[in-house]
Amino acid sequence: MDQFITTYGFLIIMMMLQAVLALSLYLPLMAGQLSLATPGFFAIGGYVAAVLSTQKFLPAPGTTFPEPLQSFVTWLATVFPLTPTGQGFPIGLVLVEMVIGGLLCGLVAILIGLPALRLRGIYLALATIAFVEVLRVVSLNLPITGGAIGIFGIPQPFPTDATKFSYIVIALPFLLLCMAYVYRLERSRVGRAFIALREDELAATAMGINPTYHKVLAFAMGAVMAGMAGAMTAHVLNTWNARQGTFDASILILAYVIIGGSRTFLGPVVGALLLTALPEVLRQVAGIDGLPDFLAAFLRDGRLVIYGFLIAFGVLSFPQGLLTPELLKRKKKASAPLPPTGGG
Amino acid sequence: MELTTLLQQLINGLSIGSVYAIFALGYTLIFSILGIINFAHGAVFTMGAYFTYALIGSRFGFNGIFANAQLPFGLPFPLALIAGGVLAGLVGVLIERTTFRPLRRRGADPLLTLVSSLGMAVALVNLIQYFVGAEAYSYPSSVLAGLPPSINFGTPEKPLIVRTVQIVIAIISLIILVGLTLFINKTKTGRALRAVSEDGTTASLLGINTDRLIVLTFFISGFVGGIAGTLVGLSVTITGPYFGIAFGLKGLAVIVLGGMGNIPGAVLGGLVIGIAENLLPASAVAYKDAIAFAILFIVLLVRPQGILGRAQITKV
Repeated sequence: MDQFITTYGFLIIMMMLQAVLALSLYLPLMAGQLSLATPGFFAIGGYVAAVLSTQKFLPAPGTTFPEPLQSFVTWLATVFPLTPTGQGFPIGLVLVEMVIGGLLCGLVAILIGLPALRLRGIYLALATIAFVEVLRVVSLNLPITGGAIGIFGIPQPFPTDATKFSYIVIALPFLLLCMAYVYRLERSRVGRAFIALREDELAATAMGINPTYHKVLAFAMGAVMAGMAGAMTAHVLNTWNARQGTFDASILILAYVIIGGSRTFLGPVVGALLLTALPEVLRQVAGIDGLPDFLAAFLRDGRLVIYGFLIAFGVLSFPQGLLTPELLKRKKKASAPLPPTGGG
Repeated sequence: MELTTLLQQLINGLSIGSVYAIFALGYTLIFSILGIINFAHGAVFTMGAYFTYALIGSRFGFNGIFANAQLPFGLPFPLALIAGGVLAGLVGVLIERTTFRPLRRRGADPLLTLVSSLGMAVALVNLIQYFVGAEAYSYPSSVLAGLPPSINFGTPEKPLIVRTVQIVIAIISLIILVGLTLFINKTKTGRALRAVSEDGTTASLLGINTDRLIVLTFFISGFVGGIAGTLVGLSVTITGPYFGIAFGLKGLAVIVLGGMGNIPGAVLGGLVIGIAENLLPASAVAYKDAIAFAILFIVLLVRPQGILGRAQITKV
């Protein structure tokens, strides 16, 4: 087990964070909006955490925080007993950064969303790509984001854990909370309004659903999740720069959702977990004895080629994604003791 | 800014802008016929540049499967440029066959085609990296043999120096633009293409072989994309397998600015963005790469149909 965690601890944390990002893209898609802005919000969240923790929240060695903050940290330590205040960066502050990052992203999302969400389909996708790219170039040039070098030496809550697996105390509850949130949302009035907008915007509007309000809401919810994930990822990676929020990431996250399945919240999560683990799996397969040399070499060095072909042809084989609501329902029906009554 | 500097930047802008224009035409042709953006176009652009590099007989680096490989012959640059374009066109046809056609047959959601073409782009770019490594390649300066590296159009006191490469690029782009416009407006096949872009179903009822025209469109799109790749590689360098992806995104800004699916629009958009990037004051030059996207974002908010595009009326 220890061996397993040493090898895969970091990967497991990354899989969970990527799953949150997939959910963040799934939310606007639920309301029928193809937004590729997730990496932009992810980057903003990361910068918030990086700047706060390296410049604002970090006391000089041997001293305490300036006053209102110190009592806050002490209070957090009582609420989250895990906080190893003495040795590492307080977990409570990581959570605070996640909240601040998330809120800021939500605000930005509302500001851009109001004008941009009038666009449909591919036009919205292009506008969000433009947002991500402008953000990337700006963060390459601003002094506060550390320019091209970025920000490094982000303080660690678990300075002794090289595998980063200790982050699981934040990552796992965070992922589960996000999943529970989207699960509940899908069954709430607002969630049903999202789905109605996706299926037929005109009919939904005629039923009294305010399209602008709900689209911006879905967009902002996704942005908050991406921002929070970014804030945490900055701590896990220990460094943050403009390469974190790029177009490549947009493609990847979209692939999670499309391959996993875009009509149930489990799809994006499963897609993200599988696709994030895939390169590692391929590396392991390449290590099997007896494989011809050229095949082993291809599995090792051509991982991204396989990845690309999987996305290209996975779409052909699973146009609905791996998980569909029908599939999940059939499972439930099969295990139900009584046949469902008609009409339901 | 002094007048000569202004002129010089204007020429630089026109030169790169004309490459943007022919590259964006590749997107526009496919969009006008299928209503879908081919996100693998940036990868085709990269492939064109690498094909030409190999065809002029240059040696590859020491990474990848083809480490230190070199063709036993070297074509003269103009021939290699065309052959590279043709090969890139064939890659375009391959992409159509493997990803676009199966999804079209099934009447799939355009979103799926978008994702599928993105997957293709990732695969192609990484194939290049797998075969020839990630290092940057430059065309040897001997490809423009006989031409001086730059020409001074001003006086010795007030120099107006233009790199020969930029003139060559502008001329080649212009030839392609004129040729393509003539092809689409004057030939029978061109008319058929326009008919398909107007209404594919009616066109096929009138006896136009839509599938063959779509293949042809992908070939032309890949051809101009490949040539654009070589030209950009000639002007700067091939910075690695990923250089087409960034360029591909800029191409999207170009077609949105001009109007999606609109051929004169793509040309206008390319020139506007090329010039806008070069007229940036020196203090803001770090933001050069953001210009295209800032324009893209603003155009989408203010005039989503682009400068020359027609507004789409949503039918109920």
